[in-house]
Amino acid sequence: MRLINAFRAQTGSEAARSTGSPQPPTAGPLPMDEETYLELYLDQCAVQDDLVPPRSPLFSPVVPYVYPPNPSNPETTFNSHLESKETSGDFSSVDLSFLPDEFTQENKEQAVIRSKHEIEENCETQSQQSRLPLPSGQDVGPGLDSSSLSSSRSHLHPGDANSIQSSPEKANSNPSPLASITPMTPMTPVSECSGIVPQLQNIVSTVNLACKLDLKKIALHAKNAEYNPKRFAAVIMRIREPRTTALIFSSGKMVCTGAKSEEQSRLAARKYARIVQKLGFPARFLDFKIQNMVGSCDVRFSIRLEGLVLTHQQFSSYEPELFPGLIYRMVKPRIVLLIFVSGKVVLTGAKERSEIYEAFENIYPILKGFRKA
Amino acid sequence: MNNTAASPMSTATSSSGRSTGKSVSFATELQSMMFSLGDARRPLHETAVLVEDVVHTQLINLLQQAAEISQLRGARVISAEDLLFLMRKDKKKLRRLLKYMFIRDYKSKIIKGIDEDDLLEDKLTGSSNANKRQKFAQDFLNSVDQTGELLAMFEDDEIDEVKQERMERAERQTRIMDSAQYAEFCESRQLSFSKKASKFRDWLDCSSMEIKPNVVAMEILAYLAYETVAQLVDLALLVRQDMVTKAGDPFSHAISATFIQYHNSAESTAACGVEAHSDAIQPCHIREAVRRYGRKIGPLSPFTSAYRRNGTAFLAC
Repeated sequence: MRLINAFRAQTGSEAARSTGSPQPPTAGPLPMDEETYLELYLDQCAVQDDLVPPRSPLFSPVVPYVYPPNPSNPETTFNSHLESKETSGDFSSVDLSFLPDEFTQENKEQAVIRSKHEIEENCETQSQQSRLPLPSGQDVGPGLDSSSLSSSRSHLHPGDANSIQSSPEKANSNPSPLASITPMTPMTPVSECSGIVPQLQNIVSTVNLACKLDLKKIALHAKNAEYNPKRFAAVIMRIREPRTTALIFSSGKMVCTGAKSEEQSRLAARKYARIVQKLGFPARFLDFKIQNMVGSCDVRFSIRLEGLVLTHQQFSSYEPELFPGLIYRMVKPRIVLLIFVSGKVVLTGAKERSEIYEAFENIYPILKGFRKA
Repeated sequence: MNNTAASPMSTATSSSGRSTGKSVSFATELQSMMFSLGDARRPLHETAVLVEDVVHTQLINLLQQAAEISQLRGARVISAEDLLFLMRKDKKKLRRLLKYMFIRDYKSKIIKGIDEDDLLEDKLTGSSNANKRQKFAQDFLNSVDQTGELLAMFEDDEIDEVKQERMERAERQTRIMDSAQYAEFCESRQLSFSKKASKFRDWLDCSSMEIKPNVVAMEILAYLAYETVAQLVDLALLVRQDMVTKAGDPFSHAISATFIQYHNSAESTAACGVEAHSDAIQPCHIREAVRRYGRKIGPLSPFTSAYRRNGTAFLAC
């Protein structure tokens, strides 16, 4: 927090020097600020790279952020919103990116909507996107520490469900605003992010209904419920929307599987809880927790697994006679990846969506190294 | 051939098998398997037939010994414990087997987590499969282990050199392939005896035996069969290497075979492209490999392990 404020103060003072316009105070605590301004920054850069390819704002010594002169891109409606607030030219409008207040809500919504295809765009256009595990040797401004920034960001991150979706580009753009503060330092081109977003395939969650349940009664009265006490001591219930399956135990605990997003899992769990409630039990909705998330994607090239298993022996195991895919146990984040020769990758073991994205971004350059022509 | 030194029962079965013309033959699968283990692009059919014979004989011998041990225990079926007991002498191979069992468990655990249908199936059948095999193996070794060295294997994290060598060989092989060849290679690698469990069972033909192996034991046998083939290919490649005499190099016999192989393959592919026939393993290589493996050099060789008493050296254990 302190560093971010320092950073803002620095640019504030720069702006003040060049334009002389009074800057809004930046001392106050800004809750969702990091994400919002980074998203903004991403928009700006994406737009800039789209509209003004030759001019690299980041290399310009005087102007750390350059605002696009006429934003024709619909994404920059928000930016133009800001612009209208500005009296002076493009330079000072930059500082408004640090403004939390009235734009915070808009920021978040717009950012969430754009999150998916922003990643794609940013990957293509922005050369300084980098992966999350950033070596601290990257260019950072003097006196600024990107690693502590990233730690403060990750500290913020878990608290916000909304920001989960925007986390990938947030993670990706981590060093960029800091790096751009150091105008004299040339940007070292870092590896581009993959441009592929893993799709979530399955989410397993648990919730405590906090009351003892009579499974027989539930099985008798509820539709789509199976109960075979000799085989398994739980009711298996299914609903069509969202298409999920739940295991309901007599203790009141419930497991919900099959949803394709966190929200859907929660919604489905609530629906099951409502069904149980309607059957006359005082069901509540306590301790909803996502236990496992599974994602998958396709890198679209063949991978030479023999090479991968040799160089990453301590993480991978590949027994083709047992299972056609290579099992890669990534340490940070703790995710298991199943990598197939065809290029399909399955990621599992995540408790949060960002872990899946992070893991994939970690593995992608490694996979590229073992690309089979 | 080593078979002649085998116990009369096994020679009878193998020769009778040959004379009646075994209905179940793994020759084609073996050819693919050998390719995936390091043989040439198209292994010779004769070699495959020979390998099949050797593996079959060895497995029958193994089964008989396991049956004896089972009888000692007073059990009705040959279970994994008997096989593990037989393998106790060779720690490396035992460790490889345990690791295999562990990976099998781990893989089922992961697959279960991914596919919700699998998860439900598992819950419904009520069996807690997680680490079943590993726990089982651990319990057994616990009971048998007297010096504590077997149990130490579970914690031991040494690199398996043989496995390492195989991985390196595969990596070298695949590096020069194009994607079509590589796809074929991957298909071959996925072949195993455990995939064709029923055919394997028929091929093994345990109907004449009183005590039969149970399911877990069959899994282990399939694994051991695969290991035997792998070991045979390893050794045969070494033998073939030895047979290539490099003129003018007095230390060629002392250089590691894989080193020579590596350089050879690099040169030959650079110079004249891959010649399938000259590169394929010949039956004579296999025979020589088996002979060398059976022959034990050393002062105490007549008095070493008990399971060599009947003359066959098990390649898998």
